[in-house]
Amino acid sequence: MPALSPETVLRVDDLSIVYRTDRGDVRATNDVSFELKRGEAMALIGESGSGKTTISLALIRKLPKNAVVTKGQILYQRENTVQDVLGLSRRQLQAFRWNDCAMVFQGAQNAFNPVLKIRKQFEDTARAHGWTDKVAIRKRALSLLELVRLDPERVYESFPHELSGGMKQRTLLALGVLLSPQVVILDEPTTALDILTQRAIIDVLNDMQRQLLFSIIFISHDLSLAAEMADTVATVYAGEIVEIGAVDDIFYRSLHPYTYGLLTSVPTLEHAQDILQSIPGSPPNLIAPPSGCKFHPRCSFASEQCQAESPQLQAESASHLAACWHKDRLLASREEGA
Amino acid sequence: MLQDQSHIDSTSQPMETSAAGLVDRLTTSLPKIYRSYTVRVFLQAIITIWAVMSLTFVLVRLMPGNPVDVLIEQILTAEGISYQEAYDRVAASFNIDKDATELDQYFQWMGDLLRLDLGTSITSPGTKVIDEIARFLPWTVFAVGTGLLISFVLGIIAGMPMAYYRGSKLDHILSFFSSFSTGVPNYIWGLLIIIVPGIAWRWFDIGALRGTYDVGLTPGLNAAFILSALEHAALPVFTYVIAILGTWMLSMKSSTTGVLNEDYVNVAEARGLKERTVIRSYVGRNAALPLFTQLTISIGFVLSSGVVVEEIFVYWGIGHLLFQSITVRDYTSLQGVVLLLTAAIVFSNLFADLTYGLLDPRVRVSGEK
Repeated sequence: MPALSPETVLRVDDLSIVYRTDRGDVRATNDVSFELKRGEAMALIGESGSGKTTISLALIRKLPKNAVVTKGQILYQRENTVQDVLGLSRRQLQAFRWNDCAMVFQGAQNAFNPVLKIRKQFEDTARAHGWTDKVAIRKRALSLLELVRLDPERVYESFPHELSGGMKQRTLLALGVLLSPQVVILDEPTTALDILTQRAIIDVLNDMQRQLLFSIIFISHDLSLAAEMADTVATVYAGEIVEIGAVDDIFYRSLHPYTYGLLTSVPTLEHAQDILQSIPGSPPNLIAPPSGCKFHPRCSFASEQCQAESPQLQAESASHLAACWHKDRLLASREEGA
Repeated sequence: MLQDQSHIDSTSQPMETSAAGLVDRLTTSLPKIYRSYTVRVFLQAIITIWAVMSLTFVLVRLMPGNPVDVLIEQILTAEGISYQEAYDRVAASFNIDKDATELDQYFQWMGDLLRLDLGTSITSPGTKVIDEIARFLPWTVFAVGTGLLISFVLGIIAGMPMAYYRGSKLDHILSFFSSFSTGVPNYIWGLLIIIVPGIAWRWFDIGALRGTYDVGLTPGLNAAFILSALEHAALPVFTYVIAILGTWMLSMKSSTTGVLNEDYVNVAEARGLKERTVIRSYVGRNAALPLFTQLTISIGFVLSSGVVVEEIFVYWGIGHLLFQSITVRDYTSLQGVVLLLTAAIVFSNLFADLTYGLLDPRVRVSGEK
């Protein structure tokens, strides 16, 4: 196993995934690489179908049956031992899941088994990872439920249908950190919740992260959530990371037309925009993706070079990388606009 | 209107007679009682049974021929006496009032029913219908019940892998078997079992397996009797298992397929639960839920589903009694058996309705509302 820097908990190298379908191979993820540091919160943003969820599912090896990882490695580091998730045996994988990396799925509404009490589902999870003492499990669970601002005793003895959507989401968050994982993946943690509940979830997440010191990868198309929670933001387009950088770099100095397009398609308080910009076109067909830069058919800066050659991620500063041939033109046009 | 008036009366006159008070209390409490779910479905069940019984009463009397005719025919051919003589003799030996109109008979029978009295057989006077049923029913319940339970358990066990490996060779083979098993009616299975392994291959002696136990044994808790009863029930039970198994397999397969797509199964796997736990407590338990309702409902059909099979195997259960009653037009026995079959179906539906909440916590809440 390669040595990772001591601060790194997760490193993904050149991850490529295809879905085998009747119509051909869908290249859902292409050469995705990134690194996650201890306590860091990273956001994956992008349109629906851009491959965000595929990346996150690969991180716990929970891809659908027709998915094949064609290239790459996913390295987790904990207490100076490094393991590649893709190389784990079935038993190792079972032990790894939730213990090292927990995933809070999109739509917590159906995340709990309807016929088992919440208590039973906490116990199931703990026992599968070697806890035997029910009293200890209960104590830990209650303290976590308290942390997510629920009435612990009541929720613990409830059936899932007795909880509201926001309560279920928070219960799932509590369950997610039950085993003190190093990495927690949150897939659209606030969609389908009303705005007040969203607020509560965000506060709870911030609290929890401060107290429990885990790293977060979260997937969202809600840019305000990303701005508020993330340290690092990665823009995903057509299965590739096209731009990655510190949250301020991405939001104030974005270097990829796609990121910029996403940002200008949401209203802000600071700038009174008369018309919101939308990105023309729709995400590309990943069975037969466009040549060169996959964004070129929708990009206003596209040139012949963009059609012919695919740009690589290039460092603009130490922590800010973007894959675009025309960063300078984007910058120039923004200055003009401002 | 009447109810409204009594209500106004009671409010305008606080000190009123006790009779008016009773009426008032009834008019306010009856709707409340009716609103209780349990009471309501129970009342509906009773009404259903009454309707079926009345229909049966009419239908059995519309069948060509009547018990007297059937027996007169027999006596005429056997003894060569005049028709009137035969008629009088038969009427005398039967337990009937010749002058009673159909309407009289109907009210007589309904009145008896209210006292839980099924009456006595027409063709064998002195035999109570309830006794006849008590004599035949246990065998049917035993044979069909065993068949139902075995097929249910096997179906659940076989249905799950069909869903887990759907599209595989295993799934294709089992699905084919299921459709075949369901498609062929149980009496055809019965005939097949008698003809192929019984007569052609001589695996067992069909003749010796007639009846519900060997002649000469005394029913009771002795090994010889129990063994013999099991032996005699084996073929009918096997027939039922084969004929019902496919339905359970297909139900379980489709139910499991649905559950496998549920988020909570996915999450359970992501939680690193042991495969066994996921299969048992997450997939199996949820997939089997709707089948339990199906099982409780089919308990009702159990009694009627074996009528022809019992005739084929000469297994003397309730189907045999029904068959016999039809043959000799024994109206009262026939009505008694049909009442039993109807009640079984209606009440097992009711039972399914009322017990589903015990299995599914989500229904528990809405059921109480």
